[in-house]
Amino acid sequence: MPGVTVTVLPRRDEEARARLDHTAQHVVPVALAGDQVLAVPGELGALLPGSALRRGTVVAVGGVVGAGATTVALGLVAAATAAGEWAVAVEGERTGQLGGLAAAEVGVALHRFAVVRGVAPARWATVVAALLDGFALVLAETPPHVRAGDARRLVARARERKTVLVVTRAWPVEAALRLRAEGGHCAGLGAGADPLTGRALHVVVDGQGAAGSSRTGEVASGPTAGLTAAPTAVAAD
Amino acid sequence: MPPRTAALWCPDWPVVARRVRDDGLRGVPVVVTERTPRGERVRAASPEARVEGVVTGLLRREAEARCPGVVLLDADTHVDAAAFEVVALAVETFTPRLALDVPGRLAFPTRGPARYFGGEAALGARVLAAVAAAGVPDARLGVADGGFAAELAARAAAPGRAQVVAAGAAPAFLAEWPVAALGDPALADLLTRLGLSTLGAFAALPAASVLGRFGTEGSRAHRLARGLDPLVSAWTVPPPELAETIELDPPVEQVETAAFVAKSLATQLLARLDRLGLGCSRVTIEAETEHGERLARCWRHEGALTPDALAARVRWQLEGWLHASGGLSGGLALLRLLPDEVAPATGRQLGFWGDDPHASDRAARALARVQGMLGHPAVVTAVPQGGRTPVERVRWVPWGDPREPARPGSEPSVRRAPGESPPWPGAIPGPSPARVFDPPRPAALLAADGVAVTVSARGEASAPPAVLRCDALPGGGGDVLGWAGPWAHDLRWWDGSTRVRCTRWQVALVSDVACLVRVARTEAAVEAIYD
Repeated sequence: MPGVTVTVLPRRDEEARARLDHTAQHVVPVALAGDQVLAVPGELGALLPGSALRRGTVVAVGGVVGAGATTVALGLVAAATAAGEWAVAVEGERTGQLGGLAAAEVGVALHRFAVVRGVAPARWATVVAALLDGFALVLAETPPHVRAGDARRLVARARERKTVLVVTRAWPVEAALRLRAEGGHCAGLGAGADPLTGRALHVVVDGQGAAGSSRTGEVASGPTAGLTAAPTAVAAD
Repeated sequence: MPPRTAALWCPDWPVVARRVRDDGLRGVPVVVTERTPRGERVRAASPEARVEGVVTGLLRREAEARCPGVVLLDADTHVDAAAFEVVALAVETFTPRLALDVPGRLAFPTRGPARYFGGEAALGARVLAAVAAAGVPDARLGVADGGFAAELAARAAAPGRAQVVAAGAAPAFLAEWPVAALGDPALADLLTRLGLSTLGAFAALPAASVLGRFGTEGSRAHRLARGLDPLVSAWTVPPPELAETIELDPPVEQVETAAFVAKSLATQLLARLDRLGLGCSRVTIEAETEHGERLARCWRHEGALTPDALAARVRWQLEGWLHASGGLSGGLALLRLLPDEVAPATGRQLGFWGDDPHASDRAARALARVQGMLGHPAVVTAVPQGGRTPVERVRWVPWGDPREPARPGSEPSVRRAPGESPPWPGAIPGPSPARVFDPPRPAALLAADGVAVTVSARGEASAPPAVLRCDALPGGGGDVLGWAGPWAHDLRWWDGSTRVRCTRWQVALVSDVACLVRVARTEAAVEAIYD
């Protein structure tokens, strides 16, 4: 019967699944944009070009110890896990550990966030390359004296795997986006009275190409409610 | 009504398996321990050790203390599985339709063999005699309606005896058991708190209400408690074309090689079932040797099998065949996985778009690879827990281990509803530091006159801090701009060896760096930086 569309119920197999995938691709309005970028919400996102990180690019987060670089980097991790993606961090050998609680306060979904520890500088590039295969975002602390060749290979790998590579400390080669934390006033701390309540971090963002212009802004760092304990109260376990 | 089923249970199978392999362990107290998130615990103990007071779940140290001279062995599922093949062979002489559960437990339907051997009690006695002749005298057998009741009947049976629960009497038999017998600790805990301590009390609830309150998992447990098999109508025997077969050329002699092949075969089979929307609860593993020997064994699994679980069972079975008396006459030439019971997979509903269902698999693969390079504990994931300091309030769990906090009060402060968990007295308030030093870095906290700041037993500082010096800080530290504290912590004062007495300060330097400083006696250390 020409002209009459015969509709049969699809069998529950590849065909049906392929049709579903096909339909999903066509009806989802944000699929294209969502595939290419990781949206970063909040004040940190407002500083980034397009309020997002482009997948497959390298983001270098710099700043002296204590200036808030780790908090900024964890903010990017939080953006990835909030989008339902998985993230992983590679810790440096002797520069301290990531604060798991701080990560939770910034908004990282801890069950989708792993941390790799004790990576010797000689194996650092291999480990990061292996992680780039499986995650949407890899946060890696650059060891001292990383070779420029290794770094370029990682840049290429990240581009190929569509993974965001966030590196902290000195990154020897180019990065699509450079964030620099420049510290900020520690609110609350005075002469022994009040504990730290929060911090407004000063962040400078430099980009390449379309994201060329430099931007500067303030990012509030984790004010937490709850836990009130009077100083000098003697605690017993 | 579920079909009449017999369950064979060998108590403390890991110990029995070791004794089968090593005669020197007979007659001495033996304990098999396994590594758990809560330390090394006893998994199985021999009767000699049990007399001395060793029970399952005891800490290894405690077991050694209660039973001096005990032989401690690490748990090894492969050894258990390989040794259990002897029992399976003995039972196979009575019925071909047996299904292995885990090493130490198997089940088979009794309808045919019970008629042939003159009743269920007679069959039970014969099976136990055959198992005892194979070198396992302590096995127990239970016969009842359905696998769950049969298994509990086996647990109630005397050593070397069969316990038969008459047809239709399963609900009455089950009613006395505690809800913990369901094998779901979380559900059992909840039911106990609701005042339903026995299966009978749980079974008395209306099925619709149970489904509404506890979901499909609870509904399944409810069916078990009522003496019905879960999903008894849904499981069907699949058509033969669902089998996955692989020919091995050249024939494989090593378990390792065969297990590697089996893993990909298991993944293929389950992927194909998955495409058809089916889950598999029983699978028959078949192998042929190069001389035409045919071997087959059925394995059962609660719920649906995952590729890893299936691959592990294939491996156990292959080890069993290779280590059984005589072993195989030649290498394996063919391996076949035949799903024995399938049901519509009601498992996971994935999002239509947005959520990538493969992301977790990809991440797990990458992490497994890194764990292979650096070792299991090198990849960790954070679990918030109770505590006072940033180090205490996070437990780092190796990837793959259960994410459980070691101390209560686990919810991070930002998400805690007021009054939900009691606060830890003396906890450091405010935002948490992003960079933590464990162990802390040595530092010097000085007063304006250059003397180290100390804190009296009453928690009073000798002088306000003015200068902080530490290698971990930029520029080696500097002048103090503001500070809070001290928080005095006197921990475990009742135990002289682990007692900790120290104070903690939040210190901000003029260079806008904030950190957490710990002072014990006169020694200061930087514990964390608000980076």
